[in-house]
Amino acid sequence: MFFTLLKRELMLARRNWVAILIPLFFFVMVVVLFPFAISPEAEFLQKIAPGVIWVAALLATLLSLDLFYRSDYSDGALEQLLLMASPTQVALAKIVAHWLMTGLPLVLVSPLLAGLMQLNYGLPQGILEANQTPILMLSLLLGTPTLCLLGAIGISLSLAASRNGILVAVMILPLYVPILIFGSATITASLENNGYNAQLAILGALLLFALALTPFATGRALKIAVS
Amino acid sequence: MSETASFGLKGRGITISRSEQILLEHVDLNFKAGTITHLFGENGTGKTSLMRALAGLLPLDSGSVFWNGYETSHPEANFTQDLLFLAHNLAMKHELSITENLQFYSALRGQKASKSKLLSVANELDIETLLDRHFAELSAGQQHKVSLCRLFLEKAKLWILDEPFVNLDARTRDWLSSQMMQFAASGGVVIFTSHQAIEGLKIHQQISLAHQTDEVLD
Amino acid sequence: MASWRWFHQLGSPKWFYQKSASWLPWLWVATAILFAFGLYYSLWNSPVDYQQGNSVRIMYIHVPVAALSMIGYLAMAICAIIGLVWKMKMAFMVTRAIAPVGAAMTFLALFTGSMWGIPTWGTWWEWDARLTSELLLLFLYLGFIALHSSFADRSKADRSAAVLAIVGAINVPIIYGSVKWWNTLHQAYSVTKRGAIDPQMQTPLFIMIGAFYLLFAILVIVRLRLEIMSREGKSQWLQAEVLANRSVGVKS
Repeated sequence: MFFTLLKRELMLARRNWVAILIPLFFFVMVVVLFPFAISPEAEFLQKIAPGVIWVAALLATLLSLDLFYRSDYSDGALEQLLLMASPTQVALAKIVAHWLMTGLPLVLVSPLLAGLMQLNYGLPQGILEANQTPILMLSLLLGTPTLCLLGAIGISLSLAASRNGILVAVMILPLYVPILIFGSATITASLENNGYNAQLAILGALLLFALALTPFATGRALKIAVS
Repeated sequence: MSETASFGLKGRGITISRSEQILLEHVDLNFKAGTITHLFGENGTGKTSLMRALAGLLPLDSGSVFWNGYETSHPEANFTQDLLFLAHNLAMKHELSITENLQFYSALRGQKASKSKLLSVANELDIETLLDRHFAELSAGQQHKVSLCRLFLEKAKLWILDEPFVNLDARTRDWLSSQMMQFAASGGVVIFTSHQAIEGLKIHQQISLAHQTDEVLD
Repeated sequence: MASWRWFHQLGSPKWFYQKSASWLPWLWVATAILFAFGLYYSLWNSPVDYQQGNSVRIMYIHVPVAALSMIGYLAMAICAIIGLVWKMKMAFMVTRAIAPVGAAMTFLALFTGSMWGIPTWGTWWEWDARLTSELLLLFLYLGFIALHSSFADRSKADRSAAVLAIVGAINVPIIYGSVKWWNTLHQAYSVTKRGAIDPQMQTPLFIMIGAFYLLFAILVIVRLRLEIMSREGKSQWLQAEVLANRSVGVKS
């Protein structure tokens, strides 16, 4: 049942592949704005890079939620899904598909941003351990699923509401703060030659915690939306 | 209570409201196995709300709905498997082909809609050449026919159909009537709404919904 | 069975509306007395802090409202659970009644916290862990209010906002924990640690806490009565109630 749902979500996403790419463009564009707004100086960019990349990832996730939830709600398909499958399963399929189609690409494109933001500036060349890019990717890999999970609750609650776009942001952004803190702190700690395992562990713990609770809450929210 | 008496859909003491408006209050309903029920009433009397409540989408203010003697939420009732609810919106994805759309809904029930089965129902409804087209490319009438294919493809025991006859040509109307009668004859339960009377359709039960007078409640 | 009577009574808007009318005057009197004592002690009859001077007196407002801002959110989440699980309309009304009052308390906590910051930190805003968490709590309240007011259908609004309140309440400790951790990371910014409290300051503080709790209760009850009026406007008992009150008003 779950895989039938997931397969459908992925198929729909593939048919809308241009729409799927837009959040990715957005992710890159937002980051590119910062050198213009502040300074292209490498030392400076390196310092703000973790925060900037993480904020951009957070906004890109938030903006891509619509694709996976809105059309099913407006054409009545969501109602049919909830009649035939359990709400938690429907929610989980959507969350997993959302992450695979938008969260994972963010992780994969992040090395490009690491380069643009001079994340590896002044670090010894050629030594693998000194390279910050894998740590950035790892933090995004552990953090973006949680962003998708929490975002799912927000979008599901807003489906039946009248002003929905900005509403999701207002509801969900405060909940994103812990992930933002630990996500960017991972990279900052590594840049400063400090241990970053604790930060990664907390990101992982947040992910597991969210994974245990949010699909159920999202399912409830979807049920309320179609009622 | 005998075994057969409990077969079918039963609502006991149902109260439904929509936006603080009470639509039905403490109503008992009985839809026996093998019967077709026609719900009618003016717009806004709550036909759709009643259907959605019976299907379990709209929460009841009071009362409960039983399927074959079990409450519909009870796993033994097997209600999600047995129910086929066609709403006003067609719930088909524009980006998918007709085949993909229909096969998905069958798959969600754990059933398989084979190519030959798809072709035979499409033939009956004159849409066999459209099976590989995207749903968005079809005319409104054709789209409606596609959603009706689900009645043929998915094995269910209860049909709840919201205005299924609207905008259908005479031939498809006859096809749908005969499908409904066949389904009832094989022990299925049909509940549908319609503004017009349907010629040739044998209806076992008619339920008329009226506007609740603005009585003060307490 | 009998012990659950109060629960069912509280669940009845009619019972609450009629009873609360007689509670309110007493609550107002009690609140006024507590505020009179509390303000007297906290503004005149309590010691001056050896470091902060008179500005420590802001504490007597800041601490109660900060406590209420958090308890308010928790109460909202508990009512949300009751509403969702037992389908109790009254519980949803309470969440709706609490939200703006809780948000106001949070705003007051931020405002007094910033005012306190001017003499102690030399600036009205410092990214202090508690102040920052309080700001995020205000956002959570605003999210709840924004969501609840975005629905045409009241029952959907109630249930959706209830889910958000529960999710928010689960997140509050996580947010607080992470903000605290983040704050220790940037130690350089936090200037003062507010130390243990002088016993002589305790009495006025407790009185003020009591006074603010009562004020909070009154505001919630008044809002709840308004909520009942707007929702049960059509029901006979409420119309009779309002008519009876009006005739009393004309006579007096």
